[in-house]
Amino acid sequence: MSPRLRLCVLALAALVLLPCAASAIGALPEFGGRIAAYGAAINAIAPAERHVANMVSAINFDIRGLDTIGEEFMLLAAVTGTVVLLRGSRGEGTTDRAVRLPGRAAPRRSDLVVLACRVAGPLTALFGLYVVLHATVTPGGGFQGGVILSSATLLIYLGDGYAAWRDSIRSHWLDGMEGGGALLFVLCGLAPMLVGGAFLENLLPLGRFRDLFSGGLMLIENLGVAAAVTGGFTQLVLEFMEETREPDQPDDPDGATP
Amino acid sequence: MTVLLNLLFLMIAATGASVVLIREPRRQVFAIALNGLVLTLLFTALQAPDVALSELAVGTAAVPLLFMIVLSAVRTAEPGQDTQSGEDA
Repeated sequence: MSPRLRLCVLALAALVLLPCAASAIGALPEFGGRIAAYGAAINAIAPAERHVANMVSAINFDIRGLDTIGEEFMLLAAVTGTVVLLRGSRGEGTTDRAVRLPGRAAPRRSDLVVLACRVAGPLTALFGLYVVLHATVTPGGGFQGGVILSSATLLIYLGDGYAAWRDSIRSHWLDGMEGGGALLFVLCGLAPMLVGGAFLENLLPLGRFRDLFSGGLMLIENLGVAAAVTGGFTQLVLEFMEETREPDQPDDPDGATP
Repeated sequence: MTVLLNLLFLMIAATGASVVLIREPRRQVFAIALNGLVLTLLFTALQAPDVALSELAVGTAAVPLLFMIVLSAVRTAEPGQDTQSGEDA
């Protein structure tokens, strides 16, 4: 396609789409305006019927829980796809030993960096756990807490190096967390059906409003999301790190490895 | 409040433009992280703490980190240098 033709197609598309976009933008509520219909409905329902103070969690895990299952499996598929791509040449032969790239200098960390990471790491992990557990009370939840937890493990890498990081996490555990978290979420959906409820129906005791144990089934779903996100993100980083290093042993010269 | 919001909009425009205009990938990563940080502030100012927390964790920590790892993967040696003798960190 020549540049000229491309410009013609662009002009044609702009001719059709720009008026549509302009009218859509013109019809938007003004910035900062209150679009209160859905929000007001949620604010009215969620505290009374779900005993949950964090409305975003109420929407994610209960009112539109099916959406979140879809997102959960999107994450699972994305991480799986990335891992499959990155493991291309290494195959299933993962190692728990830290592999080094020959020729790359490993700079010594200053004592201050090591100290800062050793202090900040556990604190970050604690904060991650807090965010996960308080999903139904304060902003945050399984996803945010999971990412914080996974970055807490990365502080080990920053402070004590790659080998120490690989010593503290296991690739198979991460696989289990990622898949198990998604499985737990689906089981939360199926379990109510055993006793005659609907998919994802919140049949557990709802607890007290603004209490750590409020929201019933949401708490378990939230733990599933946290495990899946922690495992998925850490696994993603681990596979990228491994990809930058030499394989453990040289590839089979006979071509046994693809 | 309006002053704060306008200030944040300006900062987002500035950091967003810097992501595009900086051509050196390693600096670009920090520009992306900075852009994520300003977005986090904007979401907080617009009273969306949940989204702000996600943006902070993903946009400021996870994504720049992955970029850093990938950059360290593609730059094991300076151009023209032998891979084995390269000392590039």
